[in-house]
Amino acid sequence: MSKMLSVENLSISFRTDEGVITPVQGVTFSVESGRTLGLVGESGSGKSISTKALMQLLPGSAVLGADSRMTYTDKSGKEIALGHMKHGSKELRRIRGGEIGMIFQEPMASFSPVYTIGNQMMEAIMLHRGLKKREAREYAIEMLNKVGISNAAARVDQYPHELSGGMRQRAMIALTLSAGPALLIADEPTTALDVTIQAQVLDLMRDLQRELGMGMIFITHDLGVIAQIADDVAVMYLGTIVERGPAKEVIRNPQHPYTQGLLDAIPSLDHLHDRLKPVPGDIPSPTARPKGCPFHTRCAQAISGTCDVQEPQETSPLPGRAVRCWLHETKSRSAA
Amino acid sequence: MLRFTLERFAGMVVTMLLVSVMVFLIMEIPPGDYADRYAFRKYSGTGVNVTEADIEAIRRDLGLDKPMLLRYFDWIGGIVLRGDFGQAFAFETSVTKVIGDKVWLTAGILFSTLLLTYLVSIPIGIYAAVRRGSAVDYGLTVFSYLGLALPNFLLALVMLYFANRWFGADIGGLFSDQYRDAPWSLAKAWDMAKHLWLPAVVLAWSAVAYQIQTVRATMSDELNKLSVTAARARGVPEMKLLVKYPARLAINPVVSTIGFDVNRIFSELPIVAVVLGLTELGELLLRAYLDLDMNVAGAILLLLTFAIVFMNFVSDLLLAWLDPRIKLGV
Amino acid sequence: MTDATHQMDDLTAAEARERAAQLKYYSASQWTLIWWRFRRHRAAMIAAALLGVMALAGIFAEFVAPYGPVTRDTQYIEGGPQIPKFCDEGGCSFTPFINGTKTERDPVTLRAISVPDPEVRHYLQLFVKGETVKLLGFIPIDRHLIGLSPDVDQKIHFWGTDDLGRDVFSRTVYATRTSLSIGVLGVLISFVLALIIGGAAGYFGGMIDNVIQRVTEVIRVVPIIPLYMGLAAAMPKEWSTTQVYFAMTLILGLFGWPTLARRIRSQLLSIRNEDYVVAARLAGARPGRIIAQHMLPSFTSFIIVDLVISFPYMILSETALSFVGLGLRPPSVSWGVLLQQAQSVRAIEQTPWLFIPAVFVVVAVLAFTVIGDGLRDAADPYAETH
Repeated sequence: MSKMLSVENLSISFRTDEGVITPVQGVTFSVESGRTLGLVGESGSGKSISTKALMQLLPGSAVLGADSRMTYTDKSGKEIALGHMKHGSKELRRIRGGEIGMIFQEPMASFSPVYTIGNQMMEAIMLHRGLKKREAREYAIEMLNKVGISNAAARVDQYPHELSGGMRQRAMIALTLSAGPALLIADEPTTALDVTIQAQVLDLMRDLQRELGMGMIFITHDLGVIAQIADDVAVMYLGTIVERGPAKEVIRNPQHPYTQGLLDAIPSLDHLHDRLKPVPGDIPSPTARPKGCPFHTRCAQAISGTCDVQEPQETSPLPGRAVRCWLHETKSRSAA
Repeated sequence: MLRFTLERFAGMVVTMLLVSVMVFLIMEIPPGDYADRYAFRKYSGTGVNVTEADIEAIRRDLGLDKPMLLRYFDWIGGIVLRGDFGQAFAFETSVTKVIGDKVWLTAGILFSTLLLTYLVSIPIGIYAAVRRGSAVDYGLTVFSYLGLALPNFLLALVMLYFANRWFGADIGGLFSDQYRDAPWSLAKAWDMAKHLWLPAVVLAWSAVAYQIQTVRATMSDELNKLSVTAARARGVPEMKLLVKYPARLAINPVVSTIGFDVNRIFSELPIVAVVLGLTELGELLLRAYLDLDMNVAGAILLLLTFAIVFMNFVSDLLLAWLDPRIKLGV
Repeated sequence: MTDATHQMDDLTAAEARERAAQLKYYSASQWTLIWWRFRRHRAAMIAAALLGVMALAGIFAEFVAPYGPVTRDTQYIEGGPQIPKFCDEGGCSFTPFINGTKTERDPVTLRAISVPDPEVRHYLQLFVKGETVKLLGFIPIDRHLIGLSPDVDQKIHFWGTDDLGRDVFSRTVYATRTSLSIGVLGVLISFVLALIIGGAAGYFGGMIDNVIQRVTEVIRVVPIIPLYMGLAAAMPKEWSTTQVYFAMTLILGLFGWPTLARRIRSQLLSIRNEDYVVAARLAGARPGRIIAQHMLPSFTSFIIVDLVISFPYMILSETALSFVGLGLRPPSVSWGVLLQQAQSVRAIEQTPWLFIPAVFVVVAVLAFTVIGDGLRDAADPYAETH
């Protein structure tokens, strides 16, 4: 399997009235074709912003770090540097939708309310597949069928508000996939849905991903969802990745206190009578990022004098794993 | 859609009915009645001595001695059934004749003003929202404030002054001298078009100022919508994206306030007409008020208001057609 | 030393200050907060200051204006503005002055015209003796803010004179009082009406609400100036200026209420089933008391914003009506009445200073709009960026 996307040292800052804030700092991850990377973190941890940067969807006040690299290998095998394409250029438009597709949290708000589902699908199909109107319509119906929408030939002429929430998200998936992306970014696509429908949509996405052989970045705040869908996982906290590795291993044996906290916060069928253990404290505001390790303000194992002074580097305590934590850095140092 | 149309139509008829009652009441307010004024008008300065009995006779002839309710039904019945607005005493002819083709002149002014308003304000409002915070945006905001603060008659005077300086003296009014009383012809219509732009600009001014702000505000909201980001994320070219997604929705509030714009234009019309020397309904209305010719005034007020109510109806239908959510009641 | 004071020592001065500021912020009342936020709105503060100056000048018009509104200066008819200066050919002085005038014949039209006489200087004085007038209508004074010494047989006309030789500056000051006060009274009347009508609709709902909504819609749909004109035209010609003045405020107020009534109605409707309102009702409070005591305070700030932004409509309507002769009539002076004299293109060319009252209209309307915007931002708790 080949690396289709590699992000190195991504930092994103915004100029605001209160000065410069940097919600993403030194983020490194990669996606292999045919595999799913799960990005986990609380709201405000910078996971959405990072993926929006890939598609240059950030507002004009956003600035990328000087040594940030985002390299994407397209379907023909050409390497493309993301983040620096000219606005309005043909290449950028091809990347958006045609190479990288994006699904958002709110299916209702992702559709324009004044055009039919079919209209918006055909627009994408004609743009990226070069089909004529009639063929595009056929294709749209085929895609709607594929995502499990019954009576697709009639649904194609309906408006988004005429569909149920789960249907809308299916339609959104159909719309995004109809442009034929090689990489799919799904930004909390199931968060706004009912639990039963969540599971269906999740299954659908996993099946489609396997069938089409796409790479996928799945953003969520729910480690439980990661267990179901992701091959690899990256846990983000306050704009940095604190731990990454194969999803199964990270969940079975978390190395970072934050990951451990997140896992403890998941209700478990075996311990129904235990109280849930939330991660203590609140996520600090991005304007007041703590000095040192960003997590030290909420970490029970924080080493005073170390964690609150200097930021830890990424270390590899186990093969294939990476962690940013002084607990491991001191361990590996004392072992050395 | 049919049900929606019928509902709105019924609403329009009810409003028109209530409006007609109100206009009738306003016609009744001035002290003395039509018979007094009629007699005064007709015989003053002629040396004829008018007695109470004469006035009483006139009153009976005109049916003014009937109770108010009956007179209202006579009045509105004549309008609805025969298109007869009664007598215009100051002109000694029927109101219908006096109003005559001024209705069309007024409609001409109205529609050219509306057209100008929307052609200018929609693109500019969209541009200001896209370039939010730029110098152009800032300048437009200042213009909007000024546009709303400048009394229209003053603007009319200033425009007239400059129009006179740049285009010669023959710019006020609606027609050049040689066409004023000429029968309608292509040449006369062209002559009118040449004069129409000035009142249209003056009347459109505040509407443009207002609508730019509306369009800008809605467009700014729409630009931040997820559907726009989603469309951008699937590679829709920026220009097409702006037009198809946010701009399409940004004109909704404009469409929904067409009636309001017509109201504003008609409100300013009499005053601007005085300054620009326009011979249409607004100017006639003002003269009728000054003469206390309440039949003419009432007829015009009724026509103007009916036009507004009708345009409200049109705007409702247009909006339902533009936005599929409305007729479904979502 | 106790622990507490010890801790205080640990806090740096900056931290202490910040903490104090925070405490002040969280314990401030709603109105204090609105005021703090409004104060940061620079344009609105400037507008408020301008309006304040206008209002003061209007209230004390007798003192501020050098001459009466109908006092004629036959020596200086349709004369241009006389701008005080510090220098002329004869050198400079610390006190501003104007040159005297002499009458000459226009070489072309042979009309008698006034031309400046550089030989003579008349110095400006503060608190000069002049006409005896009644300040605020009852305090007799004979001093005026600024003018020329009473010993000089010439008058100063900062903004020129009209065709009867009346001082435009003085007339504008008096007109400011009339126009602003008509606005205030008109807004007050429409406020009271809106409160009653919107209050009834919003509090009782149901049938009453339906009827009121219908009526409101009808009034909103009639073009407002023609409607005002109809009512104004009905004013008997023989009415005195005072009667006309009050009739005008009544007319403006009578139809200014629909927008505000709608606001009050919708706000009341949205909170009429809140627990605290129901509790008051169950306790047996009368509707008027419930509305005034329990419901209105929750959206007073919105009402104030709406009141402020309804001023421009009043002022512009009065000006427009008077301009076409259907509002106030001479010898009353209002901005609209003054602008009646400037109805033609000829006036722009020959006596442009007659348009100075228009500047007041524009500034007043702008000021009210900007203040309204500032207040709206300040009153919106979600606009906070603290």
